[in-house]
Amino acid sequence: MTTAEHRTVAAPPIARTRKGPARSGYRLGRDRRRAGVLMLLPAMIHIGWWIGIPTVATIVLAFTHYDVLAGTITWAGLANFLDIFADPIWISSIWHTLIYTFFTVPVAMAIAVVIAVLLNSKMRARAWYRAAYFLPHITATVAIALVWKWMFEPNIGLFNSVLDLFGINGPAWLSDPTWAMPAVVIVSVWKGIGLKMLIYLAALQAIPLSVYEAADIDGASGVRRFFAITLPLLRPATFFVFLVSAIEAFQVFEQVYILTPDGGPANATTVMTLEIYRSAFGNFDMSRASAQSVVLLVFLLVLTLISRRITRTDDDVQA
Amino acid sequence: MSRRKGVRRNRILLHVALTIGALLMIVPFVWMIVSSLKSHAEITAFPPTWLPADPRFSNYPEALQFAPFGRYFINSLLISIGHTSINLVVAVMAGYSLARLPFRGRTVIFLAILAAMMIPTYSKIVPQYLLAKNMPFFGGNDYLGRGGQGWLDSYWGLIIPGAVTPLAIFLFRQFYLALPVELEEAARLDGMGEFGIFAKIMTPLIKPAIATVALITFESSWNSFLWPLIITTRDDLRVIQVGLAAFQQTDATLWEYLMAGTTLATLPMIALFLLTQRYFVQGLASTGIK
Repeated sequence: MTTAEHRTVAAPPIARTRKGPARSGYRLGRDRRRAGVLMLLPAMIHIGWWIGIPTVATIVLAFTHYDVLAGTITWAGLANFLDIFADPIWISSIWHTLIYTFFTVPVAMAIAVVIAVLLNSKMRARAWYRAAYFLPHITATVAIALVWKWMFEPNIGLFNSVLDLFGINGPAWLSDPTWAMPAVVIVSVWKGIGLKMLIYLAALQAIPLSVYEAADIDGASGVRRFFAITLPLLRPATFFVFLVSAIEAFQVFEQVYILTPDGGPANATTVMTLEIYRSAFGNFDMSRASAQSVVLLVFLLVLTLISRRITRTDDDVQA
Repeated sequence: MSRRKGVRRNRILLHVALTIGALLMIVPFVWMIVSSLKSHAEITAFPPTWLPADPRFSNYPEALQFAPFGRYFINSLLISIGHTSINLVVAVMAGYSLARLPFRGRTVIFLAILAAMMIPTYSKIVPQYLLAKNMPFFGGNDYLGRGGQGWLDSYWGLIIPGAVTPLAIFLFRQFYLALPVELEEAARLDGMGEFGIFAKIMTPLIKPAIATVALITFESSWNSFLWPLIITTRDDLRVIQVGLAAFQQTDATLWEYLMAGTTLATLPMIALFLLTQRYFVQGLASTGIK
């Protein structure tokens, strides 16, 4: 929307130069074109080389057998895909990714929207609260996941010590097949709240106050206002947050790698990215890793298409 | 009277709720710092103490001697500064070009940048590694990129491949689009060249945007893990995040040194964030993406 606006603003100067003296107008246009291309060139070369080629190459590699050591490449057809889908660990890694996403994203979103609503009023120390909730987002996942690993330590860690105070005998967390995934989810929820809260805060500030004034006259309670007014008005933001968070959740790697380096006890936390990492940089089977990456990409594309469709129908209803 | 009392009570409840939530959010940071000041005997004792009996600041120099955290730290710093400066120069120019200089194919290129922004890491990481490994003329490679290790285990490989981000180009384009066209026009009528308009008139006007993009780039570079992990095997080329992970895998029980290391790895970013919150929040809220 903003782009369209700016384009109409930017249009007149081109027209004006054409009206001016023919030679200088032509030269001016040529100068601008040349400057434009020259200034764009370094970025285009870099992105073409490091993003464009690799993206295409991933898809090509997925249909080949590529031997890293010998440097030979042969056509494989669908062999890599048949291979990975015959592997129970890969299948379970897909399930783990789905489970992880299913629990991490909605929980973090729910907490984030509540905090955003609470923070969306003039109050003392607002910036400090916001900073505290946002802090986990800006700290390195690896470093802070190590701190969580220390807190999850079964014998002398903070978690089980606190549980011990209440007479609960805490689980072994990361080395317990049942509790390893929940532990990873807890860390990710904690880390994911900040950014979601920030997007919700930005969306909340766009809601006109007059909407609430009408509710005030009707005497609606705070909780009711939240469910009847705020949440419906936040729908576009919610879809956006959901899409961004789900895409991120599907690609979770660092906290899983740090908390459970070998994919957890009995592969309990082996997610798709961990399998890709193992194939590519553990076994140096680049073709297998590429096939797995293509599967992940398909998941992400489907996710994007579904949520785009939902948002579009949403817009239609509003319009 | 009673209504005002109710409002005041709500206000206090709100602060209590937000404070409890905020404290829960910063528990890991507090526990990290507390743990980094305990002696080995104290940290392995059960039940754990809440505060160190006798804060041991000597854990920090000892940790730095035990593992080359200093080297890791310098590597991270070099790479983050490299990423940030390259990204700023290249992306500022590209963003300006896409926003203000009309030429054929510009829209297509902009759409390509948008697409590049959305391509997930795992759809490109394997070929990126192969491209780095087969970089011609580097690391013992011949002109076809065979024979050696290319950019693996080198600062080239650590810095160049991730140096330019489509997100930065996109952000700069948006910021340049918001500038009034009259400024550019006036400078052009005065006979100023296109590069002069870019460098002297337009770019000084987007200084806050430059700060935002610089901070986002620096933060994501400082915190990056996967690429440095796969591209390096040598200890002296490890960045701080990879070094911490490696330390934990080899010396799993030296929690006090590990916590000292993580404190050193996270505090600079926390300080930077608290000092420059405004720019961070502005940039992240307007894009919603990292």
